[in-house]
Parts: sequence; C-alpha cells; structure tokens
Amino acid sequence: MTMQITPVSADYVEMRFGPRWTYISCVRKFVASFFMIGLADKERAEQVSMAASELLENAVKYASEEEGYLKITIAKGMNEVDVCVKNKAEAHNINTLRRELAMIQAGQPEQVYLRKMEEAAMTEGQSRLGLIRIIYEANARLRLDVNDGEVSIHAIFPLEQL
Amino acid sequence: MNATTPIAPLYAEGLNVVPSIEDGVMHIKITGAVEMRDPGEILTPYWNKIDEKALERSLRVVEVDLRDLSFMNSSGILTLVRWITKAKGHAAGKSYQLVLQYDRNVTWQRTSIPTLAKLAPEVVVPTEING
Repeated sequence: MTMQITPVSADYVEMRFGPRWTYISCVRKFVASFFMIGLADKERAEQVSMAASELLENAVKYASEEEGYLKITIAKGMNEVDVCVKNKAEAHNINTLRRELAMIQAGQPEQVYLRKMEEAAMTEGQSRLGLIRIIYEANARLRLDVNDGEVSIHAIFPLEQL
Repeated sequence: MNATTPIAPLYAEGLNVVPSIEDGVMHIKITGAVEMRDPGEILTPYWNKIDEKALERSLRVVEVDLRDLSFMNSSGILTLVRWITKAKGHAAGKSYQLVLQYDRNVTWQRTSIPTLAKLAPEVVVPTEING
C-alpha cells in the first residue's frame, strides 16, 4: 500500500467539526491569529476571520441535520486567499443560497448592503447580511459550488489588494 | 454632576453593556463580543428600552462606545440597524443624535460603523476615537 501525501502551502488550515454554534467564535479567533502571522497584515487577517465566521454561521444555520459536520479550509495561494466552508444542505436551502448570491452579486456592493439592511430592519427573522458584508466590508468575491447536495462556498481575497 | 444609571446593565454571553447618564447625555459602554446565534433576542429589547429612556428624559445625545467590542456578527449589526431605523422615525422635536464611537484600528468597526451611519446621516454620527 502506498500513502499519498498531498503537499500544502505553509499558510493552509483545514478543520472539520460538528455544526455547533459555540465552535464558531473559537475558529474565528484561531483563523485571525494564524493569518496574522501568515499574511503579516492585521486588517486582512481580521477580514479573513470575519468571512470565515459569517460563512460558518450560515453553514450551522442551514446545514442538513442528517450530516453531522462541516469543513472549513483556508488556503493562501500565489495570488489569493480562499476561505471555503463546505457542508451538506437541503435542496431548498441551496436554491435560496443561489438566488441570494445572484442578487447580491448583481448590484453595487454598498447599495446592495444598505438596501438589505433596510429590508432586514423591516422584517422578522434572520439578518441575511453575512454574504454581502463579506463582499462589501472585506472586498472579497464569493463563489458557490454545489456537488450532490454538498455546498462549498468560497470567499476569495485577491492578494494584490494587500 | 454625578452619573446615574437609566436602566440596569446587560451582561450576556461574553457581552457587557453599561449605560449611564451624565450632563444630559446617555453613555453606553459596550465590551466583549456579539457572536451569539440570535443577538436580537436580547439586544433589540435592550436598545428599545434605551430608546424609550432617551425619549422619556428628552435627551438629545446618546453616545455608544463600541471601542472595546472586539467583534460583532451580522445578526448583531442588524440589531443596530433596527435601533437606527427606530430613532430615524421619531418626530424631529423628540429625536436624539446617536453617536457611535469606534476605534479605526479595529477592522470591523472601521468598516461597519461608517456604513451604518449612511442609513440615517441625520441621526447617526460615527466618531472615530483612537486608543
């Protein structure tokens, strides 16, 4: 039997854990500390950790109850940092996420953020501000991949902005 | 003049909110982090009480010191949005200025607070205080 070892860059984190809300704060603080060292940029490290936290909150809220874990990977490549949160989700939640993403990516980020804040203030329930906050406040772009009921949402931070 | 306490402080899940009134200004010192699952359950009723007290005492300024708030999730930000929306709706003669004090060295504060002010520039005054 041969064992394959996948090479990873020095600035790479992967965690897999049960969808418990209380872990999110712990992961956010760890990611901020880790990337403070890896990026040597406090602001970017805090933006990356904020994005990780918001994506994990969504994953915990909308993860399928049948699948008991979610996974976060954060990788620094040559040109970007990719924060990816992966979890199983129900079809109707995936469709809601697709629509949400299409809507927020269609407009000017500040206008979309302010409009969504005003809409959220007038309605009960979840804020749904997390994704647009990542785009507007952290200058990241979002990408959604869906494969057999498994959702991967990426927040991608270009390094040339550093 | 001595400071008085308009309503009881709030201590919940890593978050402390301590209000006081001095010289006709309400000061609210917030420390810790807002990262609970549904901060609206505790914060929205609390901001509503602050709003009622400010109107009851005809205060013209409510200062919220966020500098020691290390993080606020988007659900927490929504509670501030609801407060701002409520304050914006008060009649001109009864309204108060909501001064949001923040530290520009804290990334979430530097990006979130000025954005919140754009919701109601006539009500919200973002104020950068370092240190």
